[in-house]
Amino acid sequence: MGLSDYLSKLAPELILLVGGCAVLLIGVTRSARPTSIASFASLIVVFLALIATFSAGAPDATASLPGLLFTSLVYYTRLSALGVGLLILLVNWYQAVGEERGEYMAMVLFSLLGILLTASANDLLVLFFAIELVSVPTYVLIGLSRPEHRAPEAAVKYFFLGAMAAALLAYGLSFLYGVAGTTTMHQVVDGVIRSNFVFGSSMGIYAVIGLLFVFAGLAFKVAAVPFHVYAPDVYEGAASPVTGLLGFVPKLAGFVALVKVFGMLSWELPLAIQWLVWIVAAATMTVGNVLALLQQNAKRILAYSSIAHTGYMLIALLVGPVAGGGPMHDGVAALLFYVTVYGAMNLGAFALLAAFSVRGKPAETLSDLAGLGKQAPLAALAFAICVFSLMGFPPTAGFLGKVYIFSSAFSLDSAHSFHGPLVVLAVIGVVNSAIGAAYYLRLVAAVYISRDEQEVVPTGGTPVRLGLALCSIAMLFFFVWPSGLVDRAQANADVVLHGQRVATVVTTASSAGPRPSDGTGAVVFLADSDVRSASDSRDE
Amino acid sequence: MDSWILTIVVFSPLVGALLLMLPPRGADAAIRRIAFATSLVTFVLALIALAQFQQASPATKTFVLQAHVPWIGSGEEGSAVDIGYRVGVDAIGIWLMLLTAFLTPLAIWGSFSGIRERVREYYALMLILEVGMLGVFCSLDLLLFYVFFEFTLVPLYFLIGIWGGPERRWAANKFFIFTLAGGVLTFAGVLYLAYFAYRIPEVGVFTLSIERLTGLGQEGLIPSNLQWWLFVAFAAGFAIKVPLFPVHTWLPLAHTEAPTAGSVILAGVLLKLGTYGFCRLSIPIFPDAAYQLAPFVAVLAIIGIIYAALAAWVQEDVKKLVAYSSVSHLGFCMLGMFSMKLAGLSGSVLYMINHGLSTGALFLVVGCIYERYHTRDIHAIGGLGRRMPWMGFFLVFFTLSSIGLPGLNGFVGEFLVLLGTAQSAHLGVEGKAGPLGYAYVIPAALGIILGAVYMLWMCQRVIFGPLKEPPHTPDTSTGLTRDLTRREIGMLAPIALVCVFLGVYPKPVLRDLEPALARNILQLESTRVASAAEDSGSAASAVHAPSEERVKLADAEARVPIASTLAEVPSFVTGTVGEKREVADGS
Repeated sequence: MGLSDYLSKLAPELILLVGGCAVLLIGVTRSARPTSIASFASLIVVFLALIATFSAGAPDATASLPGLLFTSLVYYTRLSALGVGLLILLVNWYQAVGEERGEYMAMVLFSLLGILLTASANDLLVLFFAIELVSVPTYVLIGLSRPEHRAPEAAVKYFFLGAMAAALLAYGLSFLYGVAGTTTMHQVVDGVIRSNFVFGSSMGIYAVIGLLFVFAGLAFKVAAVPFHVYAPDVYEGAASPVTGLLGFVPKLAGFVALVKVFGMLSWELPLAIQWLVWIVAAATMTVGNVLALLQQNAKRILAYSSIAHTGYMLIALLVGPVAGGGPMHDGVAALLFYVTVYGAMNLGAFALLAAFSVRGKPAETLSDLAGLGKQAPLAALAFAICVFSLMGFPPTAGFLGKVYIFSSAFSLDSAHSFHGPLVVLAVIGVVNSAIGAAYYLRLVAAVYISRDEQEVVPTGGTPVRLGLALCSIAMLFFFVWPSGLVDRAQANADVVLHGQRVATVVTTASSAGPRPSDGTGAVVFLADSDVRSASDSRDE
Repeated sequence: MDSWILTIVVFSPLVGALLLMLPPRGADAAIRRIAFATSLVTFVLALIALAQFQQASPATKTFVLQAHVPWIGSGEEGSAVDIGYRVGVDAIGIWLMLLTAFLTPLAIWGSFSGIRERVREYYALMLILEVGMLGVFCSLDLLLFYVFFEFTLVPLYFLIGIWGGPERRWAANKFFIFTLAGGVLTFAGVLYLAYFAYRIPEVGVFTLSIERLTGLGQEGLIPSNLQWWLFVAFAAGFAIKVPLFPVHTWLPLAHTEAPTAGSVILAGVLLKLGTYGFCRLSIPIFPDAAYQLAPFVAVLAIIGIIYAALAAWVQEDVKKLVAYSSVSHLGFCMLGMFSMKLAGLSGSVLYMINHGLSTGALFLVVGCIYERYHTRDIHAIGGLGRRMPWMGFFLVFFTLSSIGLPGLNGFVGEFLVLLGTAQSAHLGVEGKAGPLGYAYVIPAALGIILGAVYMLWMCQRVIFGPLKEPPHTPDTSTGLTRDLTRREIGMLAPIALVCVFLGVYPKPVLRDLEPALARNILQLESTRVASAAEDSGSAASAVHAPSEERVKLADAEARVPIASTLAEVPSFVTGTVGEKREVADGS
């Protein structure tokens, strides 16, 4: 385990870390006039990290360092976080006032570093710290984002609730440790099963409690009902570019962590947890979409839309990985594809708000947007593409994201006992996306159809508009060529299940018949008999 | 071998839309010319596609002019997912494409004087809308079909929302959300169907190829319970688009608020996306459910026919009246289709084309009136025949075409629809009794009478009687003359000519249509008939086992009404029906 090992395997993370510190130093050397050198430097850092990721390629599943495990999930998360990260930097280019830009950009880089570590964590503690590394910089970002009093208010709200969520997460992880007797993630499942044999099935209840708290803590990060209440206030309080970041960074980290936690149990979720996720998914979609209908402020609309999208993603999370089925079957691939696409399209919508001012203030309400269609046709077009993508409308990547999610919901065999509930959930999902169309249309209508037009002033600067353009182009690009993204996301399903259980689950699934999605590859329950049979198959 | 002509046809308007970005700000005349020229080029390309289609011996192949590019999944053998850019047409698709390519330039031409602001965006959206509509009719992949099907909403949403009447925002929203709400259920059904295909060993691939899924329906591999659910899911999207009673309420509103060209395209082509969806997907993929649910659909269609006719009768807005007549007419279309008879189906497809022509033209005429008088209130205008003899001529002409005067296009479709519905209960040339019967014909025929009543009454009040004009009209400030200008006559005359042509000689369309319907929709030459024939008690054996007396009798019965009806109809229809019998017997 030499230094070169660390350097080669952790190259993107180290680049981000060193780069983040360097950018922080740039902030210390304050020049008299504000420059965008910090923004430029962080752009280069993320770009270098992206190149390092590409040159390292997809890691093989066995590569590990103490506390870390490099699966193809890590590879995908790096690509996704850094790719969207580039866009985030563009949109945030001028956000903080000149003197604070160094600190501000460094926080963005640290947050991205947190996502990367979340993906590679192989220890419950590392996972916890990585998640907090994602969250803590975002509190700072919100506070720094603009001088108004609303920003610190939002930061404080977010911080206190975030701290509570961190406590829930830590508490839940401690339960899992108590049951399994280890913090090494790929050994947890063995520990859980062993403890079931040693202590009888009564130990199962502690595992369930642990999962429940972990899910609650992470549900806060992804803004799922009932932990969604902070989202509208925080989104409204923070400046638009930060809000664009908040829609992606905590979500990606939260969902990657959920995938890892569910994956460390080989998706053998207790029935109670499955129903919990089902209810949370249905409630999240419905609450998000219905409440968004009532809003007048574009940022609040997008905040509730962010909640609704979490609901769609939870559907895919519930399906979980289906071995060998291809992108239409695999819930994890659908989820990872969707998070990335959502990050870009949501960022694009906020980039428009960041790019224009009305009456000396950044655009925020629907009436602020009136007249953009005439005064800035190209920006309005890019915005419309992003909003139609959020709506899940062809020809955009958001549409394909919904295709993957809803089709994965049908992928369980019809004999499977969770087949029916998932089909119902998918129908709730499609009905919700029709409800969602109503408020997304209001955004588009505000831009194109409104009568009382305002004088909008482009204040965002070129990088912001470039970010907006790239977001919308990405939506069209990944509609035409989804495999560029989804093939990388798809490889995860096979390796998301850690360690040796990967092999057993895949082999039992493939030996079960010609169509691997039929049984064990999908969701298996933690009933005693199932556990026994699962552990039997592991011993083979 | 891939043929790219259809792709070129579909995406040629998109090239035009991009070209529209070239002229400088304010060069409206140039923008109009580019848009019109592009749509004409598309029409010419569509004609070339038609020529290639007819050379490609459509009578023997399912779909011709096919092209395939993998999109999701590799599309190779052994890949788990097979979704691709697949295009290809049969006679139904190519004729509806031609209708689209024919109506769009006229709609664009018709907007020259009416659209004064945001001209560039307007014509770009018209052309983009054409891409969507053309794409639907030649998609052979369900995902591609859905993409085009839904995509048409976006440009039309803007066309109504930006250039529409006073209630445009509400109308555009209602239109969009209604159609989308149905569409997403269809979408869920599509995905579930693909999963079903993936699970059964005969397919084993997550495929959305329409040909392969139709094959599933043909071979009866989809259990009837599932067929029911999926039929309902598909129908949710298509019925709203048609629109079928009781989900038609968005249509009159959207029509009233839409700009003239928007109404023309909406009535002319967009509504057909719904009927086309039923025809191309619901009936062939879910044949059992379609047979069982046909009476239900037919009852809704008949309620729609009569209800919308009565509603049209009392409208005071001419445009709304024509909009309600659309609902009524589309009811006939659905009725004929669900008779599951060749005559009914070909009548239904012909009806789609005819309705597109005559109702589209009616909207154009109403637009001409509106541009001059700024009102469509029937009470505010009257006796316009004196002021505008040309307009009077076209209004009466298209009214007659719309109500099905023999000799004009409307009649042929209407007749075949009613014929198909009437024969439906008999075995007929299809060798299988359809789900409908005479009982459905009587109320539908009542709808025809009502149609004549409200349309002619509208004509009478608008054209004849003492001259009545709102003050300060006609408005000639935009370069219009009192009567129709040469441009307006130029855009109406081609439609009128086609109406006469299709009324006198519908054979070119029907000749291609019938084999395509028999094979692709009713699947008469397929294994379904063969397997049904093995079952001696089955009705299908009538064709193959004429020795069975009972069946023979029923067969004979089925033919009697055709013969007796045919005695009273013009020879051109007899010709087609006779030919149809040959086709079926040949099988």
